[in-house]
Amino acid sequence: MTTISRDTRDRPTAGGRSTLTPPPHTRPRRRLSTRLRVAVAAAVTLVFVAPIYLMLVNAFKPQEKILANPLAPPWPPTLDNLTKALTRPDNLIPLGLRNSLIVAVISVALIVPLGSAFSFYISRKSGKTKAVILLVLSAGLMIPPQVILLPTIRILTWVGLDHSYPGLILANLGGGYLSFAVFVYVGFMRSVPDEIIQAARLDGAGGLRIWWQIVMPLVRPATATVVIFLTLWIWNDFLNPLFILGPLQGQTITTGLYLTIGQYSVDYGQLFGIMFLAGVLPVIGYLTVQKQFVAGLTSGSAK
Amino acid sequence: MEDRRTVRKRNSGERGLALLAALALGLYLVFLVLPLLLSLRSSFTNENPLKAQNDFIGLANYTEMAGDDQLRASLTFTLILAFGVTIAANALGVGFALLLNRTSLSYRVMRTVAFLPQVLSGVIVAFVWQTILTQNGLLNTALVNLRILDEPYPWLGSPHAALFSIGLVVTWVMSGFTTVVYLAALQSIPLELHDMASLDGVRGTQRFRKITWPMLAPGTTISVTISLITVLKLYDIITVLTGGGPANSTQSTALYIVKLAFTSDRVGYASAVAMLLLGISALVALTVTGALRRREVSL
Repeated sequence: MTTISRDTRDRPTAGGRSTLTPPPHTRPRRRLSTRLRVAVAAAVTLVFVAPIYLMLVNAFKPQEKILANPLAPPWPPTLDNLTKALTRPDNLIPLGLRNSLIVAVISVALIVPLGSAFSFYISRKSGKTKAVILLVLSAGLMIPPQVILLPTIRILTWVGLDHSYPGLILANLGGGYLSFAVFVYVGFMRSVPDEIIQAARLDGAGGLRIWWQIVMPLVRPATATVVIFLTLWIWNDFLNPLFILGPLQGQTITTGLYLTIGQYSVDYGQLFGIMFLAGVLPVIGYLTVQKQFVAGLTSGSAK
Repeated sequence: MEDRRTVRKRNSGERGLALLAALALGLYLVFLVLPLLLSLRSSFTNENPLKAQNDFIGLANYTEMAGDDQLRASLTFTLILAFGVTIAANALGVGFALLLNRTSLSYRVMRTVAFLPQVLSGVIVAFVWQTILTQNGLLNTALVNLRILDEPYPWLGSPHAALFSIGLVVTWVMSGFTTVVYLAALQSIPLELHDMASLDGVRGTQRFRKITWPMLAPGTTISVTISLITVLKLYDIITVLTGGGPANSTQSTALYIVKLAFTSDRVGYASAVAMLLLGISALVALTVTGALRRREVSL
C-alpha cells in the first residue's frame, strides 16, 4: 500500500471510470452523471456531519431558537453562549484548555526524543533480543488502559506523584503512546541508508550526534505523524486524567466537561457554546495539518 | 588512524544514546509491564483498599466470574457492540471511500469533513449526540413536532434502543477513520488494472467484486483490526452517553472493570475481570488479524 501523499491530482481516480479517450457523444451524459454524483456525495456528507453542524450553528443561537428549529442557520448570530461559557465562575474552559495544553505539549515533547532515540538504538541491533523487545513494545498498542489503570496509580503513589500533573505526564510517557511512537519510528528508520551512518561514524560522530543531527532530519515525516496523533490522543484522553489526576487537581478539558456539565443538560445554548469552545482547537489544528494527518494515518497503517 | 579524542567523544555519544534508549525502555517497563504484572498478581487476591490485609485466594476470583451475571451481560454487550460497529463502520467506510474517491475540490472538501468526528474527543461527541438523542432532545422534539411520533421515544432510556444508539454514535466516529484508510487503499490500486478491466468490458458491481474489493484487502485488515480494538476498550463515549444504564444494559466490560475497582473497591476481582478483557482483546485481535492477513494472500 502506498501513501496518499503520492501526487494523485491529475489522475482519474481508481474505482471510477477511465477517462482514456472518451467517445465524444457520451460527453453530455457524463456531465449529468458527474453532477448527480457530486449531489449524492454532498447529500451523504451533509447527513454525516449533521451533529457537527448542529454544534456549530447552535453555539450561536439562543435557547428558544435551538428548540424551535435546531437546523436553522444562526441568523442573527448571538455571542451570548460563548461569552457565558468563557465567563463561568469555575473557569471551566480557560483552565481546562490550559491544563490539557500543558499535559499534551510536555508529554509529546518528551515522548518524541525518547521514542526516536530508542527506535534508532534498537534498529541498529539485530537478533532475538531486538525482536522480543519490539514484540513486547507492540503489545502496548493493544492493552486496554482500564487493565493497567489502578496499578499505575499505585506506582505513582509509591513515588509520591499520584493525583499530580507530573504523575499524569509520567504515566503518558511509559504507556501505549510510547509504543505508538516506536512503532512509527522503527518503520521509518529502516529506510535510513546504512552508508550515511557509517560515514558519520568515520568522521568521529558518536551515536547521540548521529541520531540528533543526521537521523532526526531524515525521519521528519515520522516525527510529524507521532506529534500530530499523540497530541490529539493525549488532548482527547479521558480515562487517565479522570482517575490519575482526580477531581481536586483542576481538570483537563475532557474531564472538566464531564464533571461539570450535568446540570446544564437542558440549557442547550450554554451546552453548545461550551462544546464549540472545547472542540474548536483540535478542529483548527486538524485543518491546518490535514495533509500530514492523512499521510501519517495511511503510511502508518501501511506498515 | 583515529586519534584518541575522537574515539572518546564517539564513545560518550554511544553511551548517551544507549542511556536515552534505556530510559525509554525503563519507563515502558515501569508504567506498562509492571502495572500489568501487578494487575495479574492482584487478580489472585481479595485486595480491597478498605481492608487492612489482603490475602491470596487462588483462583477464587476466576471461578466467581463464571457465575457473574453482570459480567456475562457486559461481555455480551461489548462483543455485540464491537462486531456490530466494526461491520457497520467498515461497510460505510468502503461506500464513503468509493463515493469520495475523486480529486476535484468539492470532493476534497467532503473528505476533509468526513474525518472530523475522529478529531473531536469522545466526551464532546457524546455530549453533542446526547442533546440529540435524550428524552427531550432535538431528535424527539423534531419527530413530535412533525407528528411522526406521538410521544418522545427513549433512544437512550430503554436497553435495546440504548445499545442501538451507542452503536450508531460509535459507528459514526469510526467511519471517519475507516473512510480515510479505504481512500488510501483505493488510491494504491494501479490505474492500469482498471484500464485493463475497461478494455475487457468488466464494469459496475463485477469490477468491484473482482478487482476493487480484493485490492482493498490490506486496508480492510488494518481498518477492521483497529475498529475492533478501539471498541473493546471504549470508555468515554459510553460513560458520557448512558453511564452504563439503563439498568446496566450498556455497561461494557471496560466500564464494569472501572466500577468494580473505583466504586465497589473490589480491586482483586476487578483485576481478574481486567485479565479476562485483556485475553479476549488479544484473542480477537490475533485471530481476526491472522484470518484477514491470510485472506490478503489468497485473494
